[in-house]
Amino acid sequence: MIVDWLLGGCCGPGGRLVFTTEPWIVGVATLAVLVALVLAAIPRPRGRARVAELALLTAAAGVLLAAVAAPVWIQEGDRVEAGRFVALVDASRSMQVLEGDGTARTEQVAARLAALPPGTEVFAFGDGLRPGVPLTYDAGDTDLGGALAAVAQRYAGEKLEGVAVLTDGIDRGGLRRRVLGEADDVLPRLNGPLTLYQIGEEGGRTDISVTDVRAGGFAFLRAPFAIEVDVRAVGTQARSVPVTLTRDGQPVGQKTVTLDAEGRGTARFEVTPEAVGRFIYEAASPLTTGDAVPANNALSLAVRVVRDRVRVLQVCGSPSFDQKFLRLFLKEDPAVDLVSFFILRTDRDMGAGWDSSELSLIQFPYEKLFSSELWSFDLVIFQNFDYRPYFDNDADELLGNIARYVKENGKAFVMMGGDRSFDLGSYAGTPIADILPVQLGVSGEAIDAGAFQPRLTDGGARHPITQLVGEPSENAGAWSKLSALDGLNLSRGASPGAAVLLEHPTLKGPDDKPLPVLAVGEYGAGRSMALLGDSSWRWSFAEAGEGRGNQAYLRFWKNAARWLIGDPEDQPVVVEANRDNYQIGEDVRITTRVRNVSFAPVADAKVDITVDGPGGRTQLEGRTGADGSVALTLPAADRGAHRVKVVARGAAGAPVGEAQTAFAVTTRDPELEEVEPDSAFLRTLAARTGGRYVAAGDTDAPLRDPDAGRRVRDRAETPLYAAPIVPLAFALFVSISWWIRRRVGYR
Amino acid sequence: MQRSPPRGVGGLTRRTLLASAAALPFALRARAIGPASEVDIAEIQLSRGTISRPEAWTRLLFELLQSTSVEAEPRVVQLAPDDPALFRHPFAVLAGNDALTPLTEAASQQLVRYLSYGGFLFIDDTTGERQSDFDTSVRTMVRKLFPTRALTTLPTDHSVYRAFFLISEPVGRVALHRTLEGVAQGSMHPLLYSRDDVSGALDRRADGSDALPCTPNGELQRREAVKLAINLLMYGLTSNYKQDQAHVEQLIREGRLE
Repeated sequence: MIVDWLLGGCCGPGGRLVFTTEPWIVGVATLAVLVALVLAAIPRPRGRARVAELALLTAAAGVLLAAVAAPVWIQEGDRVEAGRFVALVDASRSMQVLEGDGTARTEQVAARLAALPPGTEVFAFGDGLRPGVPLTYDAGDTDLGGALAAVAQRYAGEKLEGVAVLTDGIDRGGLRRRVLGEADDVLPRLNGPLTLYQIGEEGGRTDISVTDVRAGGFAFLRAPFAIEVDVRAVGTQARSVPVTLTRDGQPVGQKTVTLDAEGRGTARFEVTPEAVGRFIYEAASPLTTGDAVPANNALSLAVRVVRDRVRVLQVCGSPSFDQKFLRLFLKEDPAVDLVSFFILRTDRDMGAGWDSSELSLIQFPYEKLFSSELWSFDLVIFQNFDYRPYFDNDADELLGNIARYVKENGKAFVMMGGDRSFDLGSYAGTPIADILPVQLGVSGEAIDAGAFQPRLTDGGARHPITQLVGEPSENAGAWSKLSALDGLNLSRGASPGAAVLLEHPTLKGPDDKPLPVLAVGEYGAGRSMALLGDSSWRWSFAEAGEGRGNQAYLRFWKNAARWLIGDPEDQPVVVEANRDNYQIGEDVRITTRVRNVSFAPVADAKVDITVDGPGGRTQLEGRTGADGSVALTLPAADRGAHRVKVVARGAAGAPVGEAQTAFAVTTRDPELEEVEPDSAFLRTLAARTGGRYVAAGDTDAPLRDPDAGRRVRDRAETPLYAAPIVPLAFALFVSISWWIRRRVGYR
Repeated sequence: MQRSPPRGVGGLTRRTLLASAAALPFALRARAIGPASEVDIAEIQLSRGTISRPEAWTRLLFELLQSTSVEAEPRVVQLAPDDPALFRHPFAVLAGNDALTPLTEAASQQLVRYLSYGGFLFIDDTTGERQSDFDTSVRTMVRKLFPTRALTTLPTDHSVYRAFFLISEPVGRVALHRTLEGVAQGSMHPLLYSRDDVSGALDRRADGSDALPCTPNGELQRREAVKLAINLLMYGLTSNYKQDQAHVEQLIREGRLE
């Protein structure tokens, strides 16, 4: 004991001595001590006392030097501690689901934990791993695989006595899918035997849920596509479940899903979109009394409908060079699905003596074409077509269909000139006249056969249809270089609200304004264009003859087709929400971009947004910045599909355009997509890891590894330089030396 | 396509129609916006090998007017292959009876451009022989125009055989070869070639009578040649229109196509 005290600690066997001071410091100190001893010995008289005194001083100096070298006694050794037991408690929201007796699953946790070995280290898991018993069960995810990996890392190198998991088994981190998929290389790495305690009992509750809706994200206009809806029903004896599909809140269809033994089934809807844009499809199963999670009975999906090809109907009253070149353009454009009907023979051609059996002609299916088939086209072109020989009696109905097709269905119509067009086709007073951008009813000559060079108007200089070259300043020059046209269908001028893009250089209408050559207008939801001549083919062929190719002609018609069909991406106003689906309470950010006819940003445009949803209408307004865009937000307040309509007006209040989009608001909680504990997963996981599955209500003890433990390495360091023996020895030697000197009378 | 139902021909005979053609050419029809845009024909003339048959082509335009809804102008212009005015006439013919003068480089380039951008050329071997210098020179010319595309015999279901009439065997003044050849560009043939003298069957004298007899089947063969000529012009205007699905399906339904 006294020795340990003198040495400043225990210096047992098996240790080793380590000097911790740098050697050069020890060397310098030794040299200094030697010098001091020599100096102390030189002036003194010799004798036995003198020798004793020097010997004692040398001993004291030795003690001092030993202290300077800072010796430390190090003793090392291993020992084994008992293995630890770890428990993981599922803290996700699915643990709040009520059991059949009305109690929450979480109430089963305390009893389970109490039955675990004393000293169990408890962690809560959900979307991460946190030490301690969960205080709340509100984690938005359940990642058991991640939690087990975190435990393996935390206790790396240690053999745990056991790992207990308390969960309902509704894993959403991927482990369940992988384990049930029987993939061998994805099982979690474990530090000890695994015991899986199922929290919550299967059965006893009723829940019908739509678990998935699949459509691929986008669809093609007028092309049927499938929407598949997965449903699951638990706690019900029903063998089938009705599922309804709505689009933007409007019914699309209903199916009855037959359920398998596990209560799962799939409904398949075939949908043919009739408009481009973004739409919200929602699949829902009806709520039943006692449904455990009503919010999971419906699921929304955003589908973007795009055009694969523009479907064009070209009706031509007489084959001509103009028809030939337009067909060449339309037929060779892979983005166009062209259906042509050319009138090859009329009443006037019946006297030539040919028998009809010699002819390769088919009947003109005008009734079908302008009634049931009409709606499948994006663009209808009347090229020098006189309707009267075919459906004079049905004109109001069939021509009215075309007018409605434009105004109400947002489709497009083009009339091109010739001796059977405009007033020469007797369209004045018909429904077609209401959608033409020129006024009919010319008295006298309806044609001027004089060649002329069309002139670009101010409107034409800005309008996208007449942009032949990228640089606007060069556009008028490009038009002036094109071949002259051969003649003009006369009109009474532009219709109110229409825009004249090309005009005649000399001929004027009743209003004393130049007669239109090319005019466009918007009628209801659709658009129309009038080209009052039959020689636009010269813009292709004559240009090619000049060695300039046919780009001007192709550009003109491509521009025209794009503007006429009004693709959402090519609209002056574009609106989009930053996501397709929102949770209640989240901010919906709606961004609107406004561009002019030349697609330049429109700054300071007034943007009025109307959002129609199940909870009613919300209105927002703002003004665009220098980049032509403005972002407005509103809270997601009501569950269901919401349609966003935007109207943009320029600084002077003139309408620029409109646009639409859609988003969905849901109350679904991903954690509550399933409510039944997944015993199959827990059983399989236990079986594949050599662990133990304990069903709810069972009291099996956890698996424990008797050999578990951890080897601990001990290390004891005794700093001898600070031990009491050092100052005591130093003081003893110096004091005796001093006493000897005094006894022999030295000073 | 025709209006349904088609009406009968009435009391007109073919000879009456042809006789009246000289007196009333094109006067009975409504006109397009201007004659410049109406269908006409350009005759390509070389310094050697070609012949001009304006009466034949005028007759074709008249037949076209009488039989179809096409608005045509009784205009046949003679042009050199390097004449820029060729691009005012998208339908051109080249009829000949001897070896052709080789095309100049400028003429070749313009003809290629003409055919590539929508023009149509019908070449007619008027010799009525199985082998001719004209035929040899035509093949040389076509190889120069389209080094990578050969003249090939058209299949019997080609659009030109359905463009207006259903034609089972293409013949002209003679019926030696009974086929058409062509050079393809995409799904169309902008250049077609007959070796049976189609224009010879159409040609006529100043009094309106036929200029040449048709052999071996006489007037019946001429009638077929006229139908073929109309189809050629109609094909030049409507290209592969008759291959469109709607037409093919309808013709098959009516039993007129196998």
